[in-house]
Amino acid sequence: MSETATPAKTDQKRAINRLKSMYPLRNVVQQDYIDTLKASNEGKPTVWSMLNYWEGDLPLKAMGLNIVYPENYATLLASSGAAEPFLDASDSDGFPTHMCGYGRSTIGYSYRMMKENGGKIPPDAPLGGMAKPALLLGSGIICDARFKWFQSLARYFDAPEWCLEMPMMATYEGSEPELEDYQVKFLVKELKDFIAFLEKLFKQKMDWAKLEELIDLAVKIHETTYKITELRQAIPGPMHATDFWSSMPPSLFFAGDMKVALKCYQDMLSEVQERVKNKESGINYPERYRLIFAELPPWHSLKFFDKLAEMGWNFVFESFGYHAPKPPDLSKYSDPCEKLARLSRNFMFNVFPEAKADNIQNPIVETYLKIARGFKADGFFMHPLISCRAASCSLRTVQHWEQEKLDIPSLWVEGDIIDKRVFNPQEVLARAEAFEQTMDHYRKVRKSKGLDW
Amino acid sequence: MENATPALFFAGIDIGSTMSKAVVVDAQGTLRGYVVGPTGAEHRRRANKVMEDVLLKAEVTLDQVAYIISTGYGRVNVPFADKQVTELTCHAKGVASLFPEVRTAIDIGGQDAKVLKIKNGRLTDFLTNDKCAAGTGRFLEVAAETLGLGLNEMGQISLQSDTPVKINSLCTIFAQQEIISRLSEGQPLTDILAGVYIAVTTRVVKLARQLKVEPPVVFTGGVAKNSGMVKAMEIVLGIPVLVPEEPLITGALGAAILARDEAFKLVQDGDYKMHKKQLSEAYIEFTEKGR
Amino acid sequence: MVTATTKGLSRAHEVYADRGRRMRELRKAGKKIIGYICLYPPIEIITAMGMVPFRIFGDMSEPITAADQVSTTVVCPFLRSIIDLGIKGKFDFLDGAVGAHTCDIGMTTIIAWRDYIKDAPFTHLIDVPHTDHAPAVDYFEGQINFFKKHIEELAGEKLSEDKLKKACELHNKQRKLVRELYDLRKSDPPKLTSMENLEVMVSLFSLPVEEGNELLEEVIKDVKERNIKPGKKKARLMVWGPVFDNTSLYELIESAGADVVVDDTCVGTRAFWADVKAPYNLHALAQRYLVDIKCPRTYRDTQHQETERNYDKDLDSRFNYIKKAVADWHVNGVILQSVKYCDTHGYEVPNLRHYLDTLGIPSIYIEHDYSERSLAPIKTRVEAFVETLD
Repeated sequence: MSETATPAKTDQKRAINRLKSMYPLRNVVQQDYIDTLKASNEGKPTVWSMLNYWEGDLPLKAMGLNIVYPENYATLLASSGAAEPFLDASDSDGFPTHMCGYGRSTIGYSYRMMKENGGKIPPDAPLGGMAKPALLLGSGIICDARFKWFQSLARYFDAPEWCLEMPMMATYEGSEPELEDYQVKFLVKELKDFIAFLEKLFKQKMDWAKLEELIDLAVKIHETTYKITELRQAIPGPMHATDFWSSMPPSLFFAGDMKVALKCYQDMLSEVQERVKNKESGINYPERYRLIFAELPPWHSLKFFDKLAEMGWNFVFESFGYHAPKPPDLSKYSDPCEKLARLSRNFMFNVFPEAKADNIQNPIVETYLKIARGFKADGFFMHPLISCRAASCSLRTVQHWEQEKLDIPSLWVEGDIIDKRVFNPQEVLARAEAFEQTMDHYRKVRKSKGLDW
Repeated sequence: MENATPALFFAGIDIGSTMSKAVVVDAQGTLRGYVVGPTGAEHRRRANKVMEDVLLKAEVTLDQVAYIISTGYGRVNVPFADKQVTELTCHAKGVASLFPEVRTAIDIGGQDAKVLKIKNGRLTDFLTNDKCAAGTGRFLEVAAETLGLGLNEMGQISLQSDTPVKINSLCTIFAQQEIISRLSEGQPLTDILAGVYIAVTTRVVKLARQLKVEPPVVFTGGVAKNSGMVKAMEIVLGIPVLVPEEPLITGALGAAILARDEAFKLVQDGDYKMHKKQLSEAYIEFTEKGR
Repeated sequence: MVTATTKGLSRAHEVYADRGRRMRELRKAGKKIIGYICLYPPIEIITAMGMVPFRIFGDMSEPITAADQVSTTVVCPFLRSIIDLGIKGKFDFLDGAVGAHTCDIGMTTIIAWRDYIKDAPFTHLIDVPHTDHAPAVDYFEGQINFFKKHIEELAGEKLSEDKLKKACELHNKQRKLVRELYDLRKSDPPKLTSMENLEVMVSLFSLPVEEGNELLEEVIKDVKERNIKPGKKKARLMVWGPVFDNTSLYELIESAGADVVVDDTCVGTRAFWADVKAPYNLHALAQRYLVDIKCPRTYRDTQHQETERNYDKDLDSRFNYIKKAVADWHVNGVILQSVKYCDTHGYEVPNLRHYLDTLGIPSIYIEHDYSERSLAPIKTRVEAFVETLD
């Protein structure tokens, strides 16, 4: 079932109580694809970009460039059930099968486009596919795959490439306040070189005023989404994880028109506030359990969460890596490159020092402990991915400490972001029933230790 | 075939994980006799038995055999072999001797699968799957057990279908569950079986595509005797495949031909003590025949 | 200096078999032992502070039983092995452990160390940028400076320019000696086997730099004098890939009928080919480690800021040092090996194989899971590869 279809009108009770304000946000992304494709067909150059936590997105948008996000496109491939031929194509070109599902999809797409379809978009590519890139913008943020696979795209495209730098996130060394200025200095230099390159490549000047305006909008969007996140801690949880995943692209990589997106998020904030006031839940069944999902969703099987919602499982929070933190105050900086650097860097490091309460050295563990407390979680749904090390390797240690520090159990469900052949929903549902008893048990344990959930 | 020079023969023994095969060829590389039997646990004893059997079959004595090459999983357990060569090289040689123009050879064994690229009769590249049952004969055995059918029966029944059911699971165990689910949903047995063959073939062809499948394609291994499997292979590849009359013995055949080549090379180098005179004569005759 | 009774290759064999022994002796004598993972921590700084650098490896013969609580199984088995050994207390002779952001899992190894491994109370994680862009080199210099400050706290004294210069010279001397040793593998047959070579390399990572230099001088002298009869080996091979720290893999290849005469691995040439250049300051270190070491974890941006891009040109810029090694060591085939789940090397494989194809150099890719039992199935493939080189 495609996630891009508008809601069907049916008498049957729908398990997840979707926010009305989610749909326009989803449409922002869809519209973006359509606009991008139209622009490419009219001869406008297209940039393929990796998620770069805003340091690359905003300069590209300020220059009015056409942007496509292969990582996001891969999730579309997965959710519309169209991924397999692309995954197979990547395997057949000698790339390891354990590779990132997004990478496999993109490499497979590029292979099929350039080697099998003579440079044309493969006919089975949903939503009109992705146009040939004029620039490949890779990023080293979060994981190696994200710049290594872009480096490999040179096999198929002659497009120039830039790998955007960012200090490695989630380290206490990196979070030392005295290091902030030095990291920002690095990023500013890199950004200035990058923007100079964009000007050279696309033969146009950067519109600095526009960039300032977009940075401003970015901060407003993130302030809004942050408020929504805070509200989601209410009981019952007012917004289900699937709504977040459907509506996050305009805040995660500023897909589409940012002014429109801001308005949509403000509407979402109002709607969530309303729900909290009325104690309205994100699921249409009584909230029996509050679940946190870590880390990357099974894009190919999102309907699966309906089944869990019917059991009263409300996924109240998810995927910390997709959430922008409370944005920093950028008003005292005048250089837009510096503002950008600080905005990005904020995510990499400022999420973690606040979370140092438990004296665990793994910042991701600390963050999820803070989240578990804030959202009063009954259980963690751990989804380690066969193809993603960065988003999966820490899940074991998160599981360990959630159990040890907060007596919160985890359900361990292996799968992949794109390849649905390695996910077994029947088996998971069977285990979910049993897991309820585990969650019940640990509720009692927590109460006996004085915790209030 | 018999002539003035004493007959001289060469043997190849392929000790696989499930089946052992032995082949005897003459100096021309023509097949003289072969045997196939289950390997069992004792490789050394098996090797001796298989050698005895093939000598009987080929109507030659051991001292008429000038050179023996062993291959396969158990090749180190053939004490009387003059040399050990991998089954990859031997299969390529065997297939090329039967189909000189071959470019791609696909071999599906009981517990593994191999893809060989061959050019001008020589192995140039290869890939193997020895980790996962899903692309091997084992998958078919599991399916047969699940459905209470014999392997040949399964093949015959599957031929009746042109609408194979898609089996998605990458894992043999999960696939078993899928087969049962499809049956209980009322899908026809013929379609399910056709789907099983397509599933195994798809896994192996995926491996093959990494080396670029170029025709002519030869399909070997015990599984290649099964008509359902051959049909599936041609559907998934989209091109016809060639299957030797005895698809199980290509490894041993290749080993025997390599044994012949190796022996002649030694004669050239002046290295080989035993059978020197007969070998030289056989070699001269061989080269005179211009083959 | 070396008090051991054995010398040269015998000593290397001894050290290889018990890597921690010399470190334990030195620790008893009052030295601080600082373990490090991978090639990016600048060991010159450790040496300059009067401490002894010890490279941390896993153990292919030790089944991983204690690491599951810490990380999932679909990660680099070499690094999982390190965590496993650490939890089991096998690194109890270390005073410190330094890691670097070499790759995703490499980074999380030190983070996990802090929460799960009791030994080596001093830990430090050095961030390494992904590219070799100019701002990145400066940033990395800052990271090295940050590391220097931290280790100065441990040492209770500051690092002097003079001490750093001396340390750089000692480590450069070691690299020069290793290159001399590798020259002795250019002959046909090579003057030492790849197993012997590996034992020497691993020993260098298990001894203080001066002792390693002495060992190398002994080995070179012994090996030079050797009289090796021409053998029947059919192939001269190069091995490429990540950590390859156990002789069993080289033994397997050599028993398949080939000589391994050179490598591009981090327990071989990657560690010793580039020197630190004068004036031996932190910037020189940053340059050597980030830019001069050739490892796929670094995005070597050969067409940086160019508006046109050419794939083959890029490959040649990235890999022509392999082309040179193939020529200089008269190599007729390359074995690309990697551990399962290694992303940095995995993505490189199709590109490198394409490059080798264009040069007409045969290659094969084998993947293992860094355990001795995963080697048997590889043997057949290596043998078949050698057979194709006939």
